[in-house]
Amino acid sequence: MEQDAQLVQQCLQGDGSAWEELVRRHTRRIFNICYRFTGNRTDAEDLSQDVFLRVYRTLGSYRSAHGGFATWATSVTRNLLIDHYRRTKRDRITDSLDDKMPVVENKESAGRRPDEQALLGELSMQVQSALTRLSPELREAVILRDLQQLEYAEIQTVLAVPEGTVKSRINRGRIELARILQQMGVRPA
Amino acid sequence: MNWTCDLIEARLSDYLEGLLQGPERAAFEAHTNSCADCAPLVAGVRGLVGEMHSMEELETPPRLVYSILDKTLRPRETVTGWQGFLNAIRGLATPKFAYGGASVMATLIILLGASNFSLRKPKLADLRPAAIYQKANQQAHLVIAHSVKYVSDLRVVYEIQSRLRQDENHLQTTPEEMMPKPSEKSPGQTDKQKPSQPRQQNRANEVSRQLELLAAEFPVLSERSVR
Repeated sequence: MEQDAQLVQQCLQGDGSAWEELVRRHTRRIFNICYRFTGNRTDAEDLSQDVFLRVYRTLGSYRSAHGGFATWATSVTRNLLIDHYRRTKRDRITDSLDDKMPVVENKESAGRRPDEQALLGELSMQVQSALTRLSPELREAVILRDLQQLEYAEIQTVLAVPEGTVKSRINRGRIELARILQQMGVRPA
Repeated sequence: MNWTCDLIEARLSDYLEGLLQGPERAAFEAHTNSCADCAPLVAGVRGLVGEMHSMEELETPPRLVYSILDKTLRPRETVTGWQGFLNAIRGLATPKFAYGGASVMATLIILLGASNFSLRKPKLADLRPAAIYQKANQQAHLVIAHSVKYVSDLRVVYEIQSRLRQDENHLQTTPEEMMPKPSEKSPGQTDKQKPSQPRQQNRANEVSRQLELLAAEFPVLSERSVR
């Protein structure tokens, strides 16, 4: 955390290598949040680039007193993911109509590359597919808590909602996800 | 407190994260153990949370960091004029580029050498494809002729050396062995009982003839070997 704040200061003084270090330290985490939210590797890469572009442009507005750089970058990521969700709403309506067709596997997992499938593992892949069916509010809460394993206070900062709302969303998200998996015929042990 | 199914759902995460203690926890468990709807729900969510906690992070795509740095860092470092030109030159000073440059230079030198192009007196006519081909062809033939001559010379030298070695071996044998036996056939004579003998005899005659010729051509070597 201290090191991030120091790197940010160096970036603001025009140190390119400090920025490179910041990017290297946080790319994997940001990419994973984007991937878990969208369920699409290409979208996740594009969104990760957009996140860092925005972070780079607004680095001057970052204040370490308001939380760690990671939390701040996660907030930026979350805002962009919600924007992306709204932008692609029309495509998803078409997808949801397709989802009503009686198919065993849903579209995301069926369209996934074989190497990606091998990487994720079957159960993880099904959990990932189920995640993309959750509402964005519940999805982001579950991703931050159960996949990124953030503390409630950090999630509260990222989502800018009270702690009670955070807990409620996480709980509802988990129950909803378990029910989706049950509908898919998946039973996590 | 009466623990209904709705309340079980509402407090499910609290229970899983160990936030329910004492009587609350006991009441929660009492309900779920006896409720056919809540028991599978609790088991399902517990399994799901366990699975999500064990899900590993994906590796960062290798090009992603560079794409981000390209999008962000480059515009800030863009400079114009002489500084930009010098930066571009500095960017080329990599081992990979130097190796590539050296390879291209070596190829050019070989091609120019083969086409007989003179750097001291460059002529435009020398750079015509037909002239380059003709000269390269000529050069190639010359190289082949030189190679053939060299191999031929080597063979002659080897032949001489092997003959001299044979000659030395011959002189080291006893004089009795050197003396022709009375039963032996004269040169060129055939032996019907041993059909391989005339061929050996002919080869021996040939060797002795060539040794005589060698002795005549290289008297010094002959004298040394006799000594």
